[in-house]
Amino acid sequence: MGSLIIPGDELHINKDSSVIQGPGVYCEPKSQRFIPVNAGIEMITDSKKGQTVYVDFNSRRYVPALGDLVVGTISGSFSDSYRVSLANFSTPVTLSYMAFPNASKKNRPTLKVGDLVYARVSNAEKELEAEIECLDSTTGKDVGYGLLDGGFVVDISLAYARELLFNSEFPLLHIIAKYTQFEVAIGVNGKVWIKCDDAKSTLACYRSIVECQSTPVGEYKRLIAANFKEITNAME
Amino acid sequence: MAKDIEISTSEAKFLVEALKQNQRLDGRGFDELRDVKIELGRDYGDVTVSMGKTRVHCRISCEITQPYEDRPFEGLFFISTEISPMAGPQFENGNNTGEDEIMCARIIEKAVRRSGALDVEGLCIVAGSKCWAVRADVHFLNCDGGFIDASCIAVMTGLLHFKKPDISVSGEQITVHSIEEREPVPLGVLHIPICVSFSFFNPEDTEENIKGDSNNEIAIIDATLKEELLRDGTLTVTLNKNREVVQVSKAGGLPMDALMLMDCCHKAYKITETLTEQILSKLKEDSEGRNKYAAMLSSENNRQM
Amino acid sequence: MSRLEVYSPEGLRLDGRRWNELRRFQCSINTHANAADGSSYLEQGNNKIITLISGPQEPKLRSQMNVNRATLAITVNITKFSKMERSKSSHKNERRVLEMQTSLARTFEKNVMLHLYPRTSIDVQVHVLQQDGGLMGSLINGITLALIDAGIAMYDYISGVTVGLYDTTPLLDLNSLEENAMSSVTLGVVGKSEKLSLLLVEDKVPLDRLESVLAIGIAGSHRIRELMDEELRKHGKKRLQNASS
Repeated sequence: MGSLIIPGDELHINKDSSVIQGPGVYCEPKSQRFIPVNAGIEMITDSKKGQTVYVDFNSRRYVPALGDLVVGTISGSFSDSYRVSLANFSTPVTLSYMAFPNASKKNRPTLKVGDLVYARVSNAEKELEAEIECLDSTTGKDVGYGLLDGGFVVDISLAYARELLFNSEFPLLHIIAKYTQFEVAIGVNGKVWIKCDDAKSTLACYRSIVECQSTPVGEYKRLIAANFKEITNAME
Repeated sequence: MAKDIEISTSEAKFLVEALKQNQRLDGRGFDELRDVKIELGRDYGDVTVSMGKTRVHCRISCEITQPYEDRPFEGLFFISTEISPMAGPQFENGNNTGEDEIMCARIIEKAVRRSGALDVEGLCIVAGSKCWAVRADVHFLNCDGGFIDASCIAVMTGLLHFKKPDISVSGEQITVHSIEEREPVPLGVLHIPICVSFSFFNPEDTEENIKGDSNNEIAIIDATLKEELLRDGTLTVTLNKNREVVQVSKAGGLPMDALMLMDCCHKAYKITETLTEQILSKLKEDSEGRNKYAAMLSSENNRQM
Repeated sequence: MSRLEVYSPEGLRLDGRRWNELRRFQCSINTHANAADGSSYLEQGNNKIITLISGPQEPKLRSQMNVNRATLAITVNITKFSKMERSKSSHKNERRVLEMQTSLARTFEKNVMLHLYPRTSIDVQVHVLQQDGGLMGSLINGITLALIDAGIAMYDYISGVTVGLYDTTPLLDLNSLEENAMSSVTLGVVGKSEKLSLLLVEDKVPLDRLESVLAIGIAGSHRIRELMDEELRKHGKKRLQNASS
């Protein structure tokens, strides 16, 4: 775990090794100095190639970045693409009809307005409208993206979503898994889709995820147990 | 154009499914209000009401103006309810022509102003030439549903809490005494209307609702924003403690059985009683806080009893 | 101003009706066959209302288009000469009128089968030529008739009426003198059922009296439904005869 860093601070990097810069770090073109530009936790990892440095910061608005896994709502359909909304009140992104597995000119996807999709950001130039895709573009195969049927969506903060998705030791989902079976799709745009066999369990999951967002990790066990007990009477 | 909040079909379906199993997203019962928190400011007539994440602030102010020509014996009373983007990105500045915004403004207007909750005749100073104009400015600080209910509580608490400066009249000459100089006078509040909003959900097809005999519609009290966006119909009942229906507004939406609507009114009455009680006790607490030494200074003693 | 005797001890009202009597109710449909796709003219007491419907048609703006269902827009035009005294301002953007429009649109949205007409708009224009109390109820009746004339699919009639409460007596179908003197309840009833699509209560009504007021209101609305139904069937018969001869 790194330390708190604020714009204007110095990054704690080894000046001699080569640096791979991530989000929240800016390389001044003239002096070639790396400076932090966002307030957050400084994360530095050493590898053979050099140091990777980024700032883990929380922001309210999601800005699409290449390779992000996102949960979106179809908000419109055109002749060759869907319009997908990743967050309320922000620019929609496009999902081409061809960005589905086994898609061809004749074989069109059958998503409707209001459906949820899990997808990957395939193009995120800041000058252009971002694009997302529902297949692995290198192989053209289905890798679990696509329509999310049923279930419910939880809106959470971006940092919390990243924690859920990338930190495999984050206890929340492990604890929930002790109580019920569920399918989950975590989008780094702050949306988590969750589906259990019955509505009551889904509801318990929903409340657990929402409440855990503002609780210390140590409390998770007790909180989730209470939620499941109240709604479904499920025991660990 | 302000964009709407987009909600996927899965979410809509799930919400109704959960309701069918007697569950709400935040774990409340169908007839359960969120906790109402009333905060009074240092000045008279400064109230903040919060219900869950919804926060509404109300400021009462007054000034001396001329009464309307056709009503020389009455003072003026305005309520301004403009929803600014402060409440949420779905609202726009200076454009209050949205359907919900108009309905909200009209219902508050009917509940408080037209029902005569404020004694406007008591605001008259010199008939035909001078009167008090009381103004209630409602500011919506955060939106999570239930604007009407919260702002009604805020306006009424504000009116009860507010005190206008004392005046003395000699002929046409009016002297306004500052609060430091003379004890200010409270407004004449005749009754306390309380709004309770119900949201209706239809668990079946539309045909079943209109043609069928079943009355399975689900009615919940004090919906949150998500519930408000997905509801099929709404009903706002305004009552006061005297068992009077001040205003009812069910502007379209899901057709409901008359008996069920009556049932809602009776439920609303119970809530009205508790909320009125809460407002009054909060005000009492506040006035006691302002006059800490009143009890000590009182000449009352045991012997007089 | 001397107090008018709104309800005499003999049980007569200002215009000579008894408590449970409706005003004169006359209606006709297809009055503006050239100008609109559906039209009606309605007289309920001294209320005179023309309703014109155009649609389902292509929306004027693309942004109004909904891919799943038709958009229903209702404009209420209260003419300046509709009351005894000519009003100085047009009522177009008054909050009261905007509220009426919203309430009407929300009432009919649930009753008209909008999902049958995706990507279209249905525009309803209501012109109030003369008004004399209980306007909201008359507007509902006018729109119902015009919608039927326009051949737009709907589940059932919606009939509206205003009921007042004078002391303890409910009075059916108020005129404006009565409306100003007492509290009023406006209902919009779906077909022959007891389901209320619209319910507006203004001014204080004791909670325990509300039920009896609603009961008489529902009965009155059913009667209006019958009157409208009668007229429609007469009209239909006439058309059938014209077609066959």
